[in-house]
Amino acid sequence: MLNRRTLLTSMLATPMLASSAFAQDDIIKLRDLYDRQAISDLAKASEGQRISVDGYMAPPLKAESNFFVLTRRPMSVCPFCETEADWPSDIVAVYTKRIIKPVTYNVKIVTSGILELGAYRDPELGFVSLVRLTDASYA
Amino acid sequence: MKSLLSISALALGVSTAAMAQDLPQVQVSSDWFTQGQETIAEIIAREKNEGRAKNVILMIADGNGVGTNYATRLYVGQQLGKLGEEHVLPYETNDYYNGIVKTYNINAQTPDSAPTAGAMNTGVKQRFNLINLGGDAVHDDCSTVAGNELTTFAEMVTAAGKSVGIVSTARLTHATPAAVFSKSANRNWEDSVPEGCTAQKDIAAQMIDGMTSGMIDIALGGGSRYFTPKDAPTPNGGTGHRPDGADLIAEAKDAGIQYASNLEELNALDMSKPILGLWTDSHVSYEADRPATEPSLVDMTRTAIEFLSQNEEGFYLEIEAGRVDHANHAGNFARTAADGMIWTEAVALADEMTSDEDTLIIVTADHEHAITFNGYCGRGTPIQGLCYKVSKTGEMHSDELALAADGKPYSVITYANGSGSVLKQTEGSNDFAGSRPDVSQEEAMDLDYLQQALIPMESETHSGEDVAVYAKGPWAHLVGGTIEQNLIFHVMDHAVNAK
Repeated sequence: MLNRRTLLTSMLATPMLASSAFAQDDIIKLRDLYDRQAISDLAKASEGQRISVDGYMAPPLKAESNFFVLTRRPMSVCPFCETEADWPSDIVAVYTKRIIKPVTYNVKIVTSGILELGAYRDPELGFVSLVRLTDASYA
Repeated sequence: MKSLLSISALALGVSTAAMAQDLPQVQVSSDWFTQGQETIAEIIAREKNEGRAKNVILMIADGNGVGTNYATRLYVGQQLGKLGEEHVLPYETNDYYNGIVKTYNINAQTPDSAPTAGAMNTGVKQRFNLINLGGDAVHDDCSTVAGNELTTFAEMVTAAGKSVGIVSTARLTHATPAAVFSKSANRNWEDSVPEGCTAQKDIAAQMIDGMTSGMIDIALGGGSRYFTPKDAPTPNGGTGHRPDGADLIAEAKDAGIQYASNLEELNALDMSKPILGLWTDSHVSYEADRPATEPSLVDMTRTAIEFLSQNEEGFYLEIEAGRVDHANHAGNFARTAADGMIWTEAVALADEMTSDEDTLIIVTADHEHAITFNGYCGRGTPIQGLCYKVSKTGEMHSDELALAADGKPYSVITYANGSGSVLKQTEGSNDFAGSRPDVSQEEAMDLDYLQQALIPMESETHSGEDVAVYAKGPWAHLVGGTIEQNLIFHVMDHAVNAK
């Protein structure tokens, strides 16, 4: 039978090819830096390189800062789910070139920076991260 | 049973043939027509079970109101290669009785999960954000606890010699599982109570008391940080949170309770002693993100029923799919659907592992969400994706996307509020404005896609809309019509005490 998936595939073939080529060349999805809760092979292969990652800017922890947290989905704070702010395990800590200008948490941004991997505790904020972008800018 | 039904269906076919003979052939030969006749036969053949329930399983998919359940039905059907609309979830077959449930709390039109689960566990409606306290208790006020404590169904059946189990994909100290055993003036007092509050313990401490006293025999879910001293490592790789420094996991072990922190450890336990399983620091992973080391809702359901079935006197088991609710709160239907799908598999397994003769299974939700469905979409439109137009021929949708007045496509599902809002805060002002993004089907079908929402809120909200309840087994026929949520307790209570 000509099922829903066949139809979808044939219908979307053209736009999918066009957009995925763009995505693969230029922008990495934040989730692809992780494999479940571990660092992905893609991230390991890109360590030390300047990459562009799409995601959302979580509400900044501090004003006038060069730091923000990039999340894969808008960082919604659910009073019924959590008794305290819980960070998802798959986030990217971003250290920017300039003082950040906050972007609303549910507006998608693309962040470019040098990929750093491995556990790191920010000496000032105490924020522990596994994946970071440094010398970063965003748009 | 199946052959009996077929015979009845045949008999009915004969009796209605006289009436149907005058109808056009195109009508009576339609599958819809014959299926309708068969369904009538099945309903007629349904026999009331008025025996005493040895076991009761209360299955709650948190936030799975009629709308969310509809979306789950289509998603599961589409995953199985069907168009989706015609799919029948395991609890939607005709051997389940069903009804509509009013979910409001004493003081809330829009309910929260603590008093709703409490109503099902005690037989009385409760107040917003409290657990198992009478109507005179006040939220966050410890002084109103004493004298307002309600007796739970778990406590009642324990006294009758039954075993008690709790399964949840949320933290075990979270609202729905906590309603099995705890009494708290604040649902958030998960690992501490305010200074000077002596009328109650925190919820985690109440749970361990319930296990060591012999009321709770198996508890599987998330939330180890609330059982671990503050700043000490949890068995799940995180950090403990208990301000009083108590190590409740150690206390449980000292009392002879077996403990597991992952699937491998769970599978290695023997079935002779009580079991505490905590897979994560906080909630169990979304099903879409769950690592293989974590038991699934189906794994937990299987182990709990195997364990509890050892008691000749029977058992009470509450099973919660807690994260259906959380993904809805995030406005991310793809994760709601994946958690909803495994929920339906857990219901099927619970039914398969027990007998309708002696086990009352109740399947329901605690409340609905602000989830909405747009039209007019053709059959087979992917429920989490963009709406395709209706086709003039055949069943399958047209290949053309339906467009709104702004010329852009829209998803079948939208949320009335939440972080998927198309309105964004404008810089330096309190005004929210915006236009709808032009979304491709590929983007809309993505696991991380947030369906568009209207009112900007950091978390999508519950709604006061009704939920459904389905039941099979002893006295399941008491479920029907439009009922208050606390009636569910009374069905369970009647079933276990029937002469």
